Amino acid sequence: MRKLTLLVLTAALALPGLAAAQGARLVVWHAYRGGEKLAFEKVIASYNARPTTKVKVDPLAVPFDAFADKVSAAVPRGKGPDVFIYAQDRMGGWIEAGHTVEPIDFFVDDALKKRYIPTTIEALTYRGSLWGLPLDFKVITLIYNKKLLANPPRTTAELVKVGQGLTNKAAGKFGLAWAYNDFYYVASLLNGNGGAVFGPGTRPTLNAPANVKGMQQLQAWNRAGFMPAEPSVALITSLFNEGKAAMVFSGPWFLGEIAPGLDYGLAPLPAISEAGGQPMRPWMTVEGVFIAAPSKQKEAAFEFVKYLTGVESARVLALEGRFTPAVKAVYDDPAVARDAQISAFKKQVEVAVPMPNVPEMTMVWSPATTALNKINSGASPRDALDVAQRAVEKDVAGLRKGK
Amino acid sequence: MSDAPALRRRFTAGLALAVAAGLGGSWAAMRGEWVNQRDDLALRRGAVTAMALDQLVGRAGGTGEPLRAALAAWQAEQPAGTEARVVRLSGARLEASTAKVDVGDQAAPRRLARSSPEDKVLYDRGQRLRGAVEGNREGGAVKPEVEVERLAGGRMRLAGPLEEDGAVVGLVQVDLAPAPARRPPAPWPMLAVAGGLLVLFWFLAPRLGGRAWAHGLLAGALFLGGLLALGAHDIRRLERDHREAQRELSDHAREVRAGTAKLLAARGLAAAPALDAGRWDVDRMRRPRGLLDERGELDLARAEAEVRKARGDAVGAVVAAALLGLLGLALVGSGLLWRFGRALVVHRQAYRYIAPAMLGTLVLVFFPFIYGIALSFTSSNIYNTSAPLPELWVGLRNYWTILSDFGIARRGADGALIWNYLNFYWTFLFTVIWTVTNVTFGVTFGLLLALVLNTRGLAFRPVYRVLLILPWAMPNYITALIWKGMFHRQFGVVNQVLAMVGIEPISWFDTPFTSFLTAFATNAWLSFPFMMVVSLGALQSIPADLYEAARVDGATRWQQFTAITLPSLKPALVPAVILSVVWTFNMFNIIFLVTGGEPNGATEILITQAYKFAFQKYQYGYAAAYATIIFGILLVYGNVQNRVTRATEGV
Repeated sequence: MRKLTLLVLTAALALPGLAAAQGARLVVWHAYRGGEKLAFEKVIASYNARPTTKVKVDPLAVPFDAFADKVSAAVPRGKGPDVFIYAQDRMGGWIEAGHTVEPIDFFVDDALKKRYIPTTIEALTYRGSLWGLPLDFKVITLIYNKKLLANPPRTTAELVKVGQGLTNKAAGKFGLAWAYNDFYYVASLLNGNGGAVFGPGTRPTLNAPANVKGMQQLQAWNRAGFMPAEPSVALITSLFNEGKAAMVFSGPWFLGEIAPGLDYGLAPLPAISEAGGQPMRPWMTVEGVFIAAPSKQKEAAFEFVKYLTGVESARVLALEGRFTPAVKAVYDDPAVARDAQISAFKKQVEVAVPMPNVPEMTMVWSPATTALNKINSGASPRDALDVAQRAVEKDVAGLRKGK
Repeated sequence: MSDAPALRRRFTAGLALAVAAGLGGSWAAMRGEWVNQRDDLALRRGAVTAMALDQLVGRAGGTGEPLRAALAAWQAEQPAGTEARVVRLSGARLEASTAKVDVGDQAAPRRLARSSPEDKVLYDRGQRLRGAVEGNREGGAVKPEVEVERLAGGRMRLAGPLEEDGAVVGLVQVDLAPAPARRPPAPWPMLAVAGGLLVLFWFLAPRLGGRAWAHGLLAGALFLGGLLALGAHDIRRLERDHREAQRELSDHAREVRAGTAKLLAARGLAAAPALDAGRWDVDRMRRPRGLLDERGELDLARAEAEVRKARGDAVGAVVAAALLGLLGLALVGSGLLWRFGRALVVHRQAYRYIAPAMLGTLVLVFFPFIYGIALSFTSSNIYNTSAPLPELWVGLRNYWTILSDFGIARRGADGALIWNYLNFYWTFLFTVIWTVTNVTFGVTFGLLLALVLNTRGLAFRPVYRVLLILPWAMPNYITALIWKGMFHRQFGVVNQVLAMVGIEPISWFDTPFTSFLTAFATNAWLSFPFMMVVSLGALQSIPADLYEAARVDGATRWQQFTAITLPSLKPALVPAVILSVVWTFNMFNIIFLVTGGEPNGATEILITQAYKFAFQKYQYGYAAAYATIIFGILLVYGNVQNRVTRATEGV
């Protein structure tokens, strides 16, 4: 018994030593699974195999559901990774909380910034400085069933017409299925009409006239009756897979849900006829690669971040992991250019706007969803958005008041 | 009664403890105050220097040769060990520097080196200050606009934003030489008083005979007397030092003001508007503290207020020390501590057995509970999660905001009532309705089924029983999602059945009442098996001869039910109902998954509302207050329920 205790004690004492010996490696947290994970790990393996690599990298997959909270809890206390990858929507909150994200503005020169699609850089910029390098983006686009629809509509007027033609409520068939009860998706209509949620700075502008216009258009679509009621993700997926919905507005995450054998195509979201042919502008989420503020190896971490977001790794990530990289040059690669899906998302992202990264955004979701539900059940968009605007203003003021 | 020598020993030990805790504590607190005061003075002196330099840099144009010349002239006037750097963010340039390390190829002006970690710190600090100034301008002062860093050897580094036309373009950073050291108050007077008290007591005690109260009184009087004398002396000294510090600060500010004015004149820089020393003595948010006027003279009323505040703090510390000391004296003097120690030793086996459980409860139950309650008194939210709780203390503000808002409904323009579903009292009312309807239904239906199942000679009874328990056995999360799907407007089975009988499809989640019905149906489905199982168990334990006797006496079935069945069920049903009420009150899953609060938060119950405040609006303090109120409500309910049942049991 005593011997065992001694053994355990020795081991406990030796462990920190072992950890220190391993300290010369970078730990990277990511939330990739399946094919994405394989491609990501391949990139890391090739980084580690480079003769110029001084500090090798260890990837660690953290479940997506727990990722953000884990970062918030572990990183400020110095228990986290050196590098982590996450969408920009939580970034502002982490920056305001402090000790989480390392500012990298200082490392980045203009030449490096020019490597990426400009809006992806914009997405990772907070209060004028850059906090991470963009790895890839996600954006919603028009996905259609080629069997039901030969040519996807280019304008919203066409969309309504085509959609109504394909709708047969008695048979449970619809022209367009999309999550129009989710503010994230509907924002594409508001942005397309020239609206925005904030501006300038962090002033909420939910009830701006352009947003009201966008919502009125949504109501017109509701009345046109070519969309299923109460669209949940499960409903949209099953309608599309059963050939009961000809078109879907969704992102790359939807492609994995499509039934094998279903012949589908991707096209940009239609231009808004009511707004003079302006395109629908969906929100884009950008996955940024961030350096943890307490990391002891920031230089090495930045070297890795540069490599990971570079064109060489982007090619592997795109072709093998189905990423849509933020680095521009990869789209000149013939193999990538030939890929219809990736090119379609690239085309869509050119008119997309970055989803706000300010922490005030978290105050918007609940009131905006409430307003959206009211509008979908026929309330006046102006009144619903006025109420939402007041709620957001109140919550933001409550937060800002601080102490 | 104890004998006199034992009393003498015991109370001397008690007095020793009191003196150690009281006098020692008071002395430590005073010393802490003194150190704080010196620190604060050094910081404020530094702030005056830094802010004055900031202004000088601004007037020197903030860039180019004129700036470097002005900074060099400034440096010549400073005590040895002081140095300054000016950084412009655009282009990441070190614009001017008098730092010893910035010579040769490191001399200003130069671009900050990407490979230099020190330069990165400088640049990031500039960006941080810019973000802080912009953020604070948008509303509320929440981020420091002056950064302070303590360097080795007592040196201090202060950095403030460099502004041009209202925009932050860079930073000004000053390293200050350490302030001349001063000796902190010595512990000798305190130790002398403490020793004197103990000796005095030791020699006076034999005259008190065997009277314990007299010993206690004497020890207490000696302790308080000593503490008061010492405390009064320390407080006077603290006040004197405080006044002296204020004078020092004012002298420093006037000196800096004169020096800066001279520099401005010598370099031919703008002398107007006049330099305002009052705006140099600032806190971390760059808000003037109001102690100095524009010429650097003390504002006497303000100075007196600062001294008064310091005195108040010190008096508080002495009172706390006195209470602590008296507590120690009472514990030892009364023999309580001794008896407790003996109990620990005698029953050490028992204590050893319960120690793990006690530790577990402490860590897993009491700590989170107390932390949650502490959180409810703060303004903790997503912006300030890294700040310690005492800094965010807002007292009862959260509770007041929640409970004082009675605006449940207002009249709209057309005279119709518009309910405010986010109001606490609406949610509370809904939660009560939700709980009462669900529990009533659960108990009635469960009991009914149990009675049916209890029928003697019922065929296939085991089969029914399994079937009826099934809803309970399924994870309620899955059941909830299935029920939600059944209420879908176009594809839900409920509307399809209604359509068969010719009823228009209903948008279930569009009105509060129908939305409530969906959640109610789901929860009813989930809750009756529990009540049924409890009732069934209790029913089977009722002796059959009771019914036989009743039948012999000619009682009807109803009479048998009310006089035998119900009273026999009570011991089992009452705890089940209490449990069921608490569960339903906090039935998070069903509400969250089925109605999601639709429409517009009307069908939110308290616990889902608290969740939304915490994890969708990120107002942690507010949500904690909400949760504490829920706890309070359930506590009151539990107590009342307990009392009522106990009262009926007594009958």
